Order: sequence, then C-alpha cells, then structure tokens
Amino acid sequence: MWWYVGKRLLQAIPVVLGATLLIYAMVFLQPGDPITALFGEKPVSEAARANLEAQYNLDKPFIVQWLLFLGGALTGDLGVSYSGQPVADLIGRTFPVTVKLAVMALIIEAVLGIIAGFWAGLRRGKIFDSTMLVVSLLVIAVPIFVLGFMLQLVFGVKLHWAPATVGGDASIGKLILPAVVLGLVSFAYVLRLTRTSVIENLSADHVRTARAKGLPEGAVNRKHVLRNSLIPVVTFLGADLGTLMAGAIVTEGIFNVPGIGNLAYQAVQRGESPTVVSVVTVMVLVYVLMSLLVDLLYAALDPRIRYA
Amino acid sequence: MRLTRRTRLAGIALVAVGSLTLAACGGDGGEDSSDNVITSFSTEPQNPLVPSNTNEVGGGNIIDLVFAGLVSYTPEGDTEMEVAESIESDDNRTWTITLKDGWTFSDGSPVTAQSFVDAWNYGADPDNAQLGAYFYKPFEGTDDDGNSTGGDTISGLEVTDELSFTATLKEPEAEFPKRLGYSAYYPLPESAFEDMEAFGESPIGNGPYTLESWDHDVEAALVPNGDYDGNRAPQNEGVTFKFYTDPDAAYTDVQSGNLDVLDRVPPSALSSYEEDDQVQPVTEPGSVFMSFTIPSSLAHFGEDEEGKLRRQALSLAIDREQIAEKIFNGANTAATDFSSPLMPGYTEDIPGSEVLEFDVEQAKDLWAQADAIAPFEGTFELSYNSDGPGNKEWVEAAVNQIRTNLEIEAEPKAFATFGEFRELVTNRSIGTAFRTSWQPDYPSVYNYLAPLYGTGAGSNDGDYSNAEFDDLLGQAAAAESEDERAQFLAQAQEILFQDLPAIPLWNQNISAVGAQGVNNLEFNWQNVPVYHNITK
Repeated sequence: MWWYVGKRLLQAIPVVLGATLLIYAMVFLQPGDPITALFGEKPVSEAARANLEAQYNLDKPFIVQWLLFLGGALTGDLGVSYSGQPVADLIGRTFPVTVKLAVMALIIEAVLGIIAGFWAGLRRGKIFDSTMLVVSLLVIAVPIFVLGFMLQLVFGVKLHWAPATVGGDASIGKLILPAVVLGLVSFAYVLRLTRTSVIENLSADHVRTARAKGLPEGAVNRKHVLRNSLIPVVTFLGADLGTLMAGAIVTEGIFNVPGIGNLAYQAVQRGESPTVVSVVTVMVLVYVLMSLLVDLLYAALDPRIRYA
Repeated sequence: MRLTRRTRLAGIALVAVGSLTLAACGGDGGEDSSDNVITSFSTEPQNPLVPSNTNEVGGGNIIDLVFAGLVSYTPEGDTEMEVAESIESDDNRTWTITLKDGWTFSDGSPVTAQSFVDAWNYGADPDNAQLGAYFYKPFEGTDDDGNSTGGDTISGLEVTDELSFTATLKEPEAEFPKRLGYSAYYPLPESAFEDMEAFGESPIGNGPYTLESWDHDVEAALVPNGDYDGNRAPQNEGVTFKFYTDPDAAYTDVQSGNLDVLDRVPPSALSSYEEDDQVQPVTEPGSVFMSFTIPSSLAHFGEDEEGKLRRQALSLAIDREQIAEKIFNGANTAATDFSSPLMPGYTEDIPGSEVLEFDVEQAKDLWAQADAIAPFEGTFELSYNSDGPGNKEWVEAAVNQIRTNLEIEAEPKAFATFGEFRELVTNRSIGTAFRTSWQPDYPSVYNYLAPLYGTGAGSNDGDYSNAEFDDLLGQAAAAESEDERAQFLAQAQEILFQDLPAIPLWNQNISAVGAQGVNNLEFNWQNVPVYHNITK
C-alpha cells in the first residue's frame, strides 16, 4: 500500500505544477494594471511604478514570474502581498478557519445525509422518503447565497439563536450556522446517493442470502446493506471536502468568516498573483490528498479492493 | 496490507477527524463587550500602515486615529492647529512652521521638526515608491508626481531648530496650512526609519489612539492614547475596526447588535434602512463628487464651439434628480456645482449652473446647433468599471436618458476591473467619456478644482486646459481672505460650467447606520464618522 501512496503523491507533482502555471497565466492575462489600481484616482509616477513592479516581479515575463514563484515556494517563501504581509502567513491564518468550517459542514452533511438517506431507502415510497426527496430537491434548487441570507436573517437577526456573523472569533458555536449553510446542498446529494444505493443493495444477492440464513433484520441492514451502500457516498464526501473549501467563498462572505475564500476573493480583485496562486496550490493539494484518502478508504469498506 | 474490522476502522477515522476539529476549536470566547469600546465597519488595510503609503479607507481609518498632524479638522471642515503652534508666511510661498512643545509619540520619543521633515522626505523619495507621494508636489524640490528630485530629501524643507522648520513651495498657496491635516503630512518617529516594514505592521503615532493589535483580516483594536492632548480627545474607551469583505454582513451585524457603526449602507438595504427599527439611520449630504469626464481629444467634443454645445446638451439631457431617487434610492443628491455644499466657501447658484438642470428642449436645441457646425455620427459611449458597486446601474440610466432625450446612439461601456479601467484612462487610450469621482483631500473647494481641471494637473484625466481658468485658480491660491478666495473659485467654476470638462452629476450622501444605544454618531466633511466622539 505504501508503494501505491508514494506513486500517487509523485503524480501530484505535475498536477500542482500545471495548476500553478495555469492560474499564473490567468492572473497575468487578467486585464488591467494592479499598480495603477493601487494608486486609485491619483497620478502614478514612473519611478514609483518601476520600483513597485520590480518589487513584485511584475516587470518580468510571466514565465519568469512563475519560475521565481516556484523557486520561492520550494524554499517556503510564497512572496508578499501588496499590504506587505508574507503570503505564507496569510494562508497560515486563513486556512485553518476554512478547514474547520469545511470539516464541520462535512460532518453535518455526512451524518444527517447518511442517516436520512438510509432511513428513506429502507422505507421507499413511504411518507418519510417522499418528504426527504422534496426537501432535498428544494435545497438543491435554491442558490446557496439565498439559503445563507435566509438562515442568517431568521436565526441570526430575528431569533438570535446563533450569531449572525463570525468575525474574528471562529469558534465552533459561531461557525455552526455557516457550516449548516455550506453543508446543506451536499447534504441533499448525500441523502439521495445513500438512498439510491441502499435501495439497490436491498435487492442484492448477498442481502437475500443473509436474510435467508436467518440473520436478524437489523444486522442485515447494518452489516450488509449500509456498509456496501457507503462506497459511492464516501467517494462523494472525499471529493466534496475540496469543493466545500473552494466553494466557501460565498458563505464566508455572507457570514464574514476570515477564511481562505475571502482571502482569494480579495487577492483576485487586486491582481495579487502570489496570493491567488498560493491559495490555489493549497486547494489543489487538498483535492489530491482527499482523493487519495478516498481510494484508501475503499479498501476499508470493500474487502474485494486491494492496493499493491 | 489487509485490514480487519474495516468498518470500525473507518468509523474510528471519522471520529478522529471530528475530534481533531473539536480540539482545534477551543472554547467559545464570547462577545468582548467592554462598555464603551466602539466597534466599526472597516476593510482590511491594503497597504502597510505608513501614513505616506495609505490611500484607501481601510488603512486611512486607522492612520487618522493613530497620528496627529500639524493641523486637524473640525467635523465641519474648519482647520485648527494641532501639533503646530503656528504656520505663517509673508508671501504664501515660504512657510515657517513652529511646533508646540511637549508632543510625544506613544513610544515616548518627542515630536520634533525633524519628525515631520524626515517623514515627508521618506514619502517623496521615489525609491520608497509611496502611494501618497503626490501630496509632496507643492514643495520646491519635487517633480510633478511629488517625487523628490536630486537625492532622497525635498530641498524645499529645512529644519531651523528642534521645534521649527520652513517649507518652500513652488508657487504661492494661501491655503497651504489647510492641506497639512492630511495623512501624508503626519510625522514619523525616529524608530520608524530603522525598520519601516515592522513599523507598517505596528505603527507608533502621536494621535488620539494607539494601535493595540491588528489581527489581519479580522480586526484592529485601538485604545486611547493617554499622552494625547490635542483637539480630538477620545470620548470612548477605544475603537475596534472589524474587517468585512461584504457590507451586507456588517449591516446584519448592526441589526443584531454585534457592530456599532457602519458608515456605508449596502445597496441592498438602501431603500429600507431609514425605516428599519433595529438600527439608527444617519442620512446627510456628503462630500464625494461624481461626474463623467469627456476627454478634450474626443472627436466632436473638443474645446471648441461644437464641443461646448454638445457637452451642455448632454448635461441638460440628464435628469439627475430622477436617477438619484430611482437608482440610488436617495443615497445621492443632484450636484449643484463642481464641489460639494459641505465645503467651507461653497457658493450657491453660480452663474451657468443652470446647465445642471433637466431641460430636454434646450438639450435638443443645443445638440442641433452643434450638428449644424459638424454633424455627429456614431455612438456616444460612457465607460465605467463594473466592479464598483452601483456603477452599472447609474451609467445605464444616464446613457438611456441621453439616448432618448437627444435621439442619438449612446451605449454604456463596461470594464471588468478598476485596474483595467484606470489603466486606459491613465494612458489616454480610453477613447470615450468615462466616469470620475473625487473625494477631497482637505476641506476646500480649491481641492475639487485644481487637481482635476488645472492644465497638466495630476488627476486631469480629460486633459482640459483653459488659461483663464488656470489664472483664476492661481489668484484663488494666493487670495488673502476666505471670501476673496471663494469669489475667485466661483468665477473659475463659471468657466467650467461653460466648458464642462466633466459633467457634474451627484454628491454621494452619507448613508450610515449605528446600532441601538450608540450616541453622538456624526460624520465629518470627509464622510468619515467622528470616531473619537462616539459613545455608547
């Protein structure tokens, strides 16, 4: 298995290189000059412009900029933002907040989605199943920012059950509301995925065999139906952690969460290539690691799968 | 590797991930609600907190409270001596500045003449590439961009003794002392120059507050500076700026009592905030001037008879009040001149200002007269940056009015980013009319006119040039009394109303909210809350 893990990690190198190059090119091609924007509506002197361009390597061709960034990144230096902050510090501050938010959302969607989906699948066509199908359809259909503003207004402003925004203190209590909003859409997918998968497994041969040999119904459902139904769900959840982190931009804006999404948003607006590319690199790494973790989890769930 | 009890392992992994998160989270800190600490909306400063390098509101909010300049401004825009004892000149060109004794920085070092001169020299030195270099342009020994020429010092500044220095200007300017409250003219302690990078992270100033902590992207906490004995004595026990990327979230926080002051109501709440009983609304006229500029080089819009007629026709074809009402929900007020009614020396009803009224018949008539000189073909385009909130809406509305009322082809032209838009404006390749706005640097009508319409001036993006106007500006700059200056500036505006280098549109109102229980929420001439007076 370790050989397999090593191979997968080696594969990540070209992925990261390609992603940074692509993002660098995109930021570079973004119209407009960040130095002019920095000065607002005031005139920019040539000397000051030249100095700033040299400081941020903006005077060099973009391949050189990219190589300089890569060289710096290898030695742990991700460059400096326009506000004079080392990008590594910025990411170090914001990344844990977003991870916390995304993991909370993941736990919420996984626990609720699997339980509700399992129950709905076992009672296919009954009232609970139909209700869940309608609810999940609604959640998928409504855009996330609408859900966000609605829940914020109802629970944060009107009922005062949860703080309306997060701000500096990113504790679990404050992150619950944004985590629910972030997890809601995926909850609907997890629910539907689990339900379909459970229904399929209920009529599988090994389940029929288990019933035939007289296993109690509860044990059949737990050991044979649920476990086998989880494989597609785990795949989805693994990939979803990356999506949740990247997709947190909207939620982070609504609830003022000082996370990596907010950081990326501001950096894109200012044309700060080092920050944008560093954030993207981190996200790519998250995706790579999560998909590896998912593949390893398969082996835990399905004895037929082995890695060598 | 073969895993036994696989299901349980998977379960353990999930639990482990969950508990790791829980461990990382720590306890809920709860609201830090010291009784009289004011929390206010702001944005993460975009630049290090060095006065000469701060040109946006996020950094400016902090800098203005942490530093004190030679003069300070009252909320109404009058200038009062602060660190300066006197600022005097016989010829309005060579100024002798004497400081009060006893001012110190919060690290204990004294505020001396050298503190000011060193700070200004640093700001003007092109090697330091400071964003506020423009403000050193009046001094002898700087170029048109405000960069020092010949070395790293401004030759027009000279320290005469510990508490006094002289400043020599390129041209006489009677209003020079008024400038000096702007942040680019704040002093810096000696320690700053040893490590400007560290200083930008935790600035040491001489102002009413000191920066206690700056938690990036989260908040900056300011506490009163016990040694401060100036004009802006803090009435509260601190100001904490909370940083937001989305003002909607801040509005929600004011509603739910988590934030005391939001100085700009987001567009989504503009139509409702005055009736919202969860907040205290504040609506006042403001000082930001919005316009669109037509470059003098644009075909059919040059500085000749035809161009003037067309500019006047455009101005008459726009119903400013309707757009202010319908598009801005009353957040803007139709402009009455090229400045703002808030400014000291503002003159009402300047001759020629009728061109700002809405008069379709006359607009058509003037346009027809221009067509008689040379027929207009093609499309009138108005450029804007669509990343600025609300730009798209008013530009489209204004262009629609122009199209309908003048019966010509007119189109809005959007640029995705401010950077792209300003680049084209700056290198003069935009080739259309474009939106402009101006926030004054110091409280004076002069500051709305000279930098924008003076020949060759730094922000004269339309390259307007009129010798008579320049002459009046010069006379205003040298005027002996405020009344005399106001007269010259009114005359200068008369010329602008004929030539219309830019079409005045609106003054942006202050639309702000305070939480319930917040007192003394007032705004100054810069549209910034008077933070030191707010209590709760």
